[in-house]
Amino acid sequence: MIFSRRLWAVTASLALLAACGEATPPTSNTPLSSSTSPAASPMANNSHSMGHSKPININNAILSELDKLEAKLGIPALSNQIQASRPYGSTEELVSKKVLTQAQFDQIKDMVTIEDVVLEGEAKDVDYITKLGLMKGHLIVAHELLILNKPAQAEPHIGHPVEEIYADVEDQLTERNVPEFKTTLIRLQDLVKAGAKDPAKVKTEFQSSLKSVDQAIAILPETERQNPVFVLKVINGLLDTANSEYGAAIANNKISALIEYQDSRGFVIYAEELYQEIAPALAKTDPKVNAEIKKNLTTLKTVWPSVEAPAKPVKSPTEVTALIKNIEKLTTPLTQKSS
Amino acid sequence: MFLDKFSLFRPNRRQFLQWSMGGALGIGGSWLAWQGVQSHASRSEVAIPPLPQPISPEATNPLIFLRHFDYGTVKEENGQRIREFRAEARTSTLQLNTAVSQVTWNLNGQVPGPTLRAKEGDRIRVIFYNRAGHSHSLHFHGIHEAEMDGIKPVRNNSVFIYEFNAQPYGVHLYHCHIAPVTRHISKGLYGMFIVDPPDPRPPADEMVLIMGGYDTNEDHKNELYAFNGLPSYYMSHPIPIQQEQLVRLYLLNMIEYDLAATFHLHANFFEVYPTGMTLNPSYKTDVITMGTAERHILEFAYRHPGRYMFHPHQDAIAEAGCMGQFEVIEKS
Repeated sequence: MIFSRRLWAVTASLALLAACGEATPPTSNTPLSSSTSPAASPMANNSHSMGHSKPININNAILSELDKLEAKLGIPALSNQIQASRPYGSTEELVSKKVLTQAQFDQIKDMVTIEDVVLEGEAKDVDYITKLGLMKGHLIVAHELLILNKPAQAEPHIGHPVEEIYADVEDQLTERNVPEFKTTLIRLQDLVKAGAKDPAKVKTEFQSSLKSVDQAIAILPETERQNPVFVLKVINGLLDTANSEYGAAIANNKISALIEYQDSRGFVIYAEELYQEIAPALAKTDPKVNAEIKKNLTTLKTVWPSVEAPAKPVKSPTEVTALIKNIEKLTTPLTQKSS
Repeated sequence: MFLDKFSLFRPNRRQFLQWSMGGALGIGGSWLAWQGVQSHASRSEVAIPPLPQPISPEATNPLIFLRHFDYGTVKEENGQRIREFRAEARTSTLQLNTAVSQVTWNLNGQVPGPTLRAKEGDRIRVIFYNRAGHSHSLHFHGIHEAEMDGIKPVRNNSVFIYEFNAQPYGVHLYHCHIAPVTRHISKGLYGMFIVDPPDPRPPADEMVLIMGGYDTNEDHKNELYAFNGLPSYYMSHPIPIQQEQLVRLYLLNMIEYDLAATFHLHANFFEVYPTGMTLNPSYKTDVITMGTAERHILEFAYRHPGRYMFHPHQDAIAEAGCMGQFEVIEKS
């Protein structure tokens, strides 16, 4: 089973890399709870008192943030409703788009905004780790492709972290005193663009890039990184993006955009790695939910049998969306409990 | 003071099509009437032949796109007028010809994205919602603040609201500015942004042509090209224009991977308003070479009825889909 972590490590050790005759797996498989010594980070002061916390941006907030509105108004599934009716040109559009009645809106209008909000507390940490998780997903498939000696195919996945994500997380890196690693990522990209001719060098650069991302992840306190509820929020973010990418990979029941197929594969692999880390704890606290999540994830993984696309899609984008939405629904009660 | 009719009720395209299919209205003239493009000039001076029926209602329909301008919605906020547009990045499959389909990244389901139109000095707001997986952005050409420059990625499932003043007047463009920009543009994330001068240009049959390329096999070369999204569409669906009617063509080259395209109009010459930033034409020619992102206003009228081709004179590009024709209808 290609997805099993052990196998991943084994494949990895066949690496690039075989050239170097070394048997240590080149990826460090960072779970969120890696043992890299985390630098001190200001732990989120999750003030739960509504009155004092920052308003929620209804255009961008993750479900668990929106759950605060759902809880306040007692409307089931309101968070999903708010997400589904995006975008909002003004907060009043919650009423004009019939998400809320005027009376309901009046109760929460001080809690919402469409202005850019500087995230804080757990929401900020989820945002941070999700972006780094997307980087990890890209690097996972890049690595698989390098092993298969396909540098041209690996190149976009080495490019994406720096082209699409880095600028989005740069402020937070600075704020959290994470050493910049843009230059590291670009060095690897340049090397691969130039044809990845020297396997040993590629390996070294790849390791540096991966290590940089892992160190950025390890900045968060371990307690948070091992907290199942926190990790589930990150998993949902990764799967949500995987879902869109998978949809963008398929045309006329064929995988026509290989890059997007591979992107979605990387995100799902990393999401699954994260799940494995919290599964034991989840099995103790919420055995039923855990079993269901596991079942859905297991089915979901079959969609990406290998880094090279199957001749025919294993599942349609609609089926993939359904599985991912299932996982999201399963985690909602847990994440709500905690907010 | 420019009388703003844009904020009045405007029919959506579907309603409009239903009416015009009912034959009650000639499509172009009445459309212009709704748009209120010409503020005081008599619109009856502009003769636009009806489009051939039936019109297919797909999001990407070059004949509809041609003369369709999105003026947004005008709002008053704290005494300030805001012209608000909504743009949603999506992915969808576009059938380029009978053999080739392409997964596009697009705005509001169409390639090219909607032609946004405003008047110099308008306050513009674009509510950009990314639902397309990758991070995307909207980078507008024109003068605005750095934070509105569309360089910062907007992550999947999030919203960014761009707000700036429309300046200077001219033919501008917007496109996604996430690297590799070549891929983000050629997969469909681009469109035209017209900023009208304070005093409107004289009445004319106004239309938009955008040259684009498709890299269908990810080899960093274009396999197919198109005017307004669909290869060779205007060859089989010629654009009807009226004999001796002044045509104002807003032309943009959005072809990635090829250095330049030399737009050529058959059996005629056109006046050139470079980048649409002049009120008087600079010169007259029948070929104009444009690098990627170059755009101009071209004006011409046809003396003789019949069919006349237009295409870039890099003929390989033309023959791979970047060609079309006008059907000049005799004045009755």
